Amino acid sequence: MSVSKVPWVIKYRPKKLSEFVNQGEAVEKIKTWIKGWLAGKPEKKAALFYGPPGSGKTSIVEALCREYGFQLVEMNASDYRREQDIERVAKLASVQRGLFAGRRIILLDEIDGLALAGGADAGAIEAILELIETTKNPVIMTANNPWDLAFRPLRDHSVMIEFKRLSKGDVLEVLRRICVAEKLSCDEKALDFIAEKSEGDLRSAINDLEAVAEGGGKITEEIAKQLLRARDRVLDPFEVVRKIFWSKYVWQAKLNATQTDLDPDTLMEWINENLPRQITDPEDLWRAYEALARADVYRGRIVRSGSWDLLAYAIELMTAGVALSPKNDPKAKFRWVKYQFPDRIRLMSQTKEVRALRDSIAGIIGEHIHASRAKVLKDVLPYIKIIFENNVEEAAKIAISLNLTDPMIKYLSQNKGDEIIARVRELRKAIRAEAKRAGSKREDAQKNNKKSEEVKKQQTKSGLDSFVKKTKL
Amino acid sequence: MVLSEEEASRILAELLWTEKYRPKTLDEVVNQEEVVIRLKQFIKEKNTPHLLFAGPPGTGKTTVAHAFAHDLYGGDYRLYLLELNASDERGIDVIRTKVKEFARTKTPGNVPFKLILLDESDNMTADAQQALRRLMEMYVVATRFILIANYPSKIIEPIQSRCAIFRFVPLSREDVVGRLSWICEREGVKCNRDALNTIYDLSEGDMRKAINILQTAAALGEVSVSNVYKVVGLAHPKEIREMIKTALNGDFIKARSTLRSLMVTYGLSGIDIIKQIHREITSSDIDLPEEVKVELADYVGEIQFRLVEGADEEIQLDALLARLAVLGKKVVGVAPKRVSK
Repeated sequence: MSVSKVPWVIKYRPKKLSEFVNQGEAVEKIKTWIKGWLAGKPEKKAALFYGPPGSGKTSIVEALCREYGFQLVEMNASDYRREQDIERVAKLASVQRGLFAGRRIILLDEIDGLALAGGADAGAIEAILELIETTKNPVIMTANNPWDLAFRPLRDHSVMIEFKRLSKGDVLEVLRRICVAEKLSCDEKALDFIAEKSEGDLRSAINDLEAVAEGGGKITEEIAKQLLRARDRVLDPFEVVRKIFWSKYVWQAKLNATQTDLDPDTLMEWINENLPRQITDPEDLWRAYEALARADVYRGRIVRSGSWDLLAYAIELMTAGVALSPKNDPKAKFRWVKYQFPDRIRLMSQTKEVRALRDSIAGIIGEHIHASRAKVLKDVLPYIKIIFENNVEEAAKIAISLNLTDPMIKYLSQNKGDEIIARVRELRKAIRAEAKRAGSKREDAQKNNKKSEEVKKQQTKSGLDSFVKKTKL
Repeated sequence: MVLSEEEASRILAELLWTEKYRPKTLDEVVNQEEVVIRLKQFIKEKNTPHLLFAGPPGTGKTTVAHAFAHDLYGGDYRLYLLELNASDERGIDVIRTKVKEFARTKTPGNVPFKLILLDESDNMTADAQQALRRLMEMYVVATRFILIANYPSKIIEPIQSRCAIFRFVPLSREDVVGRLSWICEREGVKCNRDALNTIYDLSEGDMRKAINILQTAAALGEVSVSNVYKVVGLAHPKEIREMIKTALNGDFIKARSTLRSLMVTYGLSGIDIIKQIHREITSSDIDLPEEVKVELADYVGEIQFRLVEGADEEIQLDALLARLAVLGKKVVGVAPKRVSK
């Protein structure tokens, strides 16, 4: 196996539009649209290619560029959130010709991501709309599902081009071609199994074929089934974690990680929870935690930079990195131990209300004393708690001045909560009574004021009168 | 129960001493003379550059910022001061929106700009700081920023060069003790000198911490040396030392569950915890060979760095606990005995 091996999905990508299997209708539509552009009068400035994964949307854009001599400017899902990237692409798009290169095609790949991230990113969609409006070059977007409500403005401004799900026969045809080109000895039944399993996703079928071929030798149905069964069924988390720990090879650990519905974050919780149960030698355990901690650093970078490309490294470290750490006691990881549901997840859901309460107290105090919640939690709350546990009178007064609720008071004082609450009631009542008294006093005072004002007015009036009289004289 | 008007209003008024006795004007600020003199000059000119207040916690940065705004705009200064905390705002986008809205409101008649106070600005990532720099430029006509930071070196160079930098020095013993006894007088609380000196020793020149200890000790009855120690002991979770010992004894799972309760229930941040771990392992209370302490310090530093880079603080600290378990085993036979409670 050479190191600089090109993955088959790239190696066997169709080079010409005519090479695409079973997407004739889409190809015709694309040709019409692009000819409109070349004539300087496109029907719409953008096109939205949609269809199931592995149906050839991105590949066709590359073939299109090659055939018509366009330069491809590509932007990935992770770039959409970064303003400067959109600006950079927009700038390229607004220029009609490159200085030396020919025309450009702007490709916004996998825009689904914009809708998936918990409510569509309105800013990004607006930026794309603006790009479409100003562009002097064809803009192509791809999506698996373009019918999300948030994409409506994009749909309105695009020629919609559908890519059909490939049939099993279509997939088989390509697989056979690759077998011939790679000089592989392939069992027809094995190919049939791979094609069936791919459900029309040619990319995954080619990847599967490559994975099976990796082992060398004849590709039989049995080997294919053994290696690829993985993705078919979803294992429960206990089983997945066990299989990850038991893995001997990097690919095995990675493959096992795909056999679950858990997202990577939750999978990490499961691994973290059960790691010290499975691996007990301290040095082995530490090595495993190092791998997990490194994986977490990649997660942090993903979150901060939006580069989802890094996820692969995080997953390799948290699966293979962990599985391959035992050195002192390499057999320990095959021992059968009882696993547990992640304690932290349980703890988090159990303490949800208490934590919300704690944070809102910290918020109130923080606003009050000009400090962040974190600082209050660390530097102020411990002292307030001591006061609340030891001095009912002082605690009650603080509670009133900060307007704390009963549950908040109880949070701050495990032992004296009820006493403090009772005292707060008493004091509040007394304050109200006092306010009433003061209020009526004030009213009296106001009345008196009014009276004296009237008297004053009369006085000044009479004074004026006398003055007028005087001048008249 | 009957309250006099004075008693009632006292309850409704400020009860946290840190706030109650916070200086309201620059004249009331007793230390940081250098800073105050320069700021008064800005007030006289009714013009100021962007400001960066840097210094350790509890040295009066926020107080001086408010007093500056007060002296500049007068009693209703809050109309012209936008207060933000980088640790509480969710990202630079939120800050941008708030700044944008605030910049649109009208400026006071006699001063041509408003102030934006951004506390804990050294908690912002370098990227966010770049965005902040653009904001500072964009709204410089109508606003000036006061950035507050513990570590000025964590503020990117381009921002530093746009700010007048003010360094706040740790408060001296006389300053702290003097202020504390003044507060005691006002509150009618009995307190002795030794106790106040002890508070200073324990608070390391951090006025906020000193006043918090003072008020809490007073709530226990009197400000005595023993009450001061009691307060500080109660305020610091003992669990951290317990956790270290448990890990050194090789019980990783138990140590991890202590860590969880500290983070989830107490709400301590990973940084808070690692700083305390650092303090513990370098103290004389944990009996580890000196060269192991050095080795550990290196790793603790690495973990603190990763806390900032990573996504899940517990995982990073778990790695540290696992390392402690290794070290505990290395000093075989010794460790369990030597670190026993």
